[in-house]
Amino acid sequence: MTVIKVPQPPPSAYDPNRPVSSLLKMQLEHLFEAEKRLPSRYRSEVYVNAIKTEGEASNYIRKVTEAIHQAHGDAERARRKPKRRRGIEIAAMADGGGTKTGKKKSIKQKISGKKKQS
Amino acid sequence: MPPGLDALRHIVVLMMENRSFDHMLGSVPGIGGIDDAGGFSNPDTTGASANPQPLAAFQGQLQPDPDHHFPAVDLQIFGGNTAPGREANMQGFVKSYYNQQQNVGHSREILYYFKQSDLPVLTTLAQEFAVLNRWFASIPGPTICNRAFAHYGTSFGRVDMNLVYINEPFKSIYDRMINATPKHTSKLYYYDTASSTMEITNLLQNQPQLFGTYDQFLSDCQNGTLPDYSFVEPNYSDHDTDTGEEVANDQHPDHNIQAGEAFIASVYTAIKGNADLWASTVLLIVYDEHGGIFDHVPPPPCTPDQFTASANDTGTTQPFAFDRLGVRVPAILVSPWIPKGKVVSRVFDHASIPATVTKWFLGDYSPRSPRETSADVFIEPNVAPVDPARNLLSLDVMRTDCPDFE
Repeated sequence: MTVIKVPQPPPSAYDPNRPVSSLLKMQLEHLFEAEKRLPSRYRSEVYVNAIKTEGEASNYIRKVTEAIHQAHGDAERARRKPKRRRGIEIAAMADGGGTKTGKKKSIKQKISGKKKQS
Repeated sequence: MPPGLDALRHIVVLMMENRSFDHMLGSVPGIGGIDDAGGFSNPDTTGASANPQPLAAFQGQLQPDPDHHFPAVDLQIFGGNTAPGREANMQGFVKSYYNQQQNVGHSREILYYFKQSDLPVLTTLAQEFAVLNRWFASIPGPTICNRAFAHYGTSFGRVDMNLVYINEPFKSIYDRMINATPKHTSKLYYYDTASSTMEITNLLQNQPQLFGTYDQFLSDCQNGTLPDYSFVEPNYSDHDTDTGEEVANDQHPDHNIQAGEAFIASVYTAIKGNADLWASTVLLIVYDEHGGIFDHVPPPPCTPDQFTASANDTGTTQPFAFDRLGVRVPAILVSPWIPKGKVVSRVFDHASIPATVTKWFLGDYSPRSPRETSADVFIEPNVAPVDPARNLLSLDVMRTDCPDFE
């Protein structure tokens, strides 16, 4: 079996300060459009027009790509969160412990309980 | 049925950036490159003849990035002839590059190509497996619209770098796969989140679950969990990560060619490293377009798409009906079921990718673009009778002499 040596690029090949190509500029524009459609809490505060180098571009691209995944992940988790089952809720209230006042009390009790612990 | 087709479970496409066939493979004998052709030249702007030379450099030579937008490619293919009935003559590469720097000596460097020994990975794969030596870019234009053909089988009438593909009539190949009955699996692997995806940002935005990183590709190969269809993207930028420096490996000028060589070897090795996967996978290595760099084979006409780009959109005085392919690019099909040294001279373009994946996994499917339905496939559907003259996975016994890279 033939084994082929694969030459590696020299260290000088790495240049994150290289000016962005027209291709990367378009990628930035496309991701900026995608970012504008994200809920505001997921948006970066990067001014895209100020990006001049590959290193800066990749930093922005990473932020937006991760934000897109994060936003979809959060939305998916919210969709999967079990909804309260109304029938059980009504039954609990019929047992006498489910009045609004009672709920508030129980929260207060929890808070006061925590304070005591601390 | 041919055993190679019976075994086939996975198709992997690796799409690199912006290099022409002659530039990368022109020195490999017997595959239809520039060394086989001989006698090709371009006039420079003084009228002198410039000849292709095996003097391409790994980096630092193609500055500025050669123009490959629609008007420039029109000049490269037709040599500046705009008359009706003109014929492609590939005489305008030097003139086009001159337009960017007005330097005659520099403009002639657009005809430089690599020696075989410069590119041990790509040239070895070309000689060991099947080289598809008439694979053309889908459009005589830039990256984004060409990559669209690989994902959708059309660019929806666009010949530029703009991108808003929403509510379009034709589904992406990934949508087709995951919504099929029975369901199929499909994934796009970008290099990392700092490189992300090119062209299909709309898919990332709406269906991020389709995407994974190159690290995930490696572990999916190792664990035998690769989807039915995978599309792999290289790293488009030099950037820092938590683990160190990542050198761009897409081979887009002026990124380092050797980094791309190492990346291609890495994809090949990941598949070959899992014996079951190796036996059941076809890997296509292809470039999205020629990047303004010369090739000597005139692109042929093709079936028009149902879209037309206006003269304003093309930037020339003429509209474009998507009835001609772009410049020829390297394309290599890898599988242990392919005989060593196969040369395939049928015409393909990037629409052949969704055409092949659709036909192989889904069979009849509609709607698809006119360009995709007329595109040739590089894997024959495993339905009797399989034409032995067209089946590239034709060996009766899987090869055990395929090369390794280290």
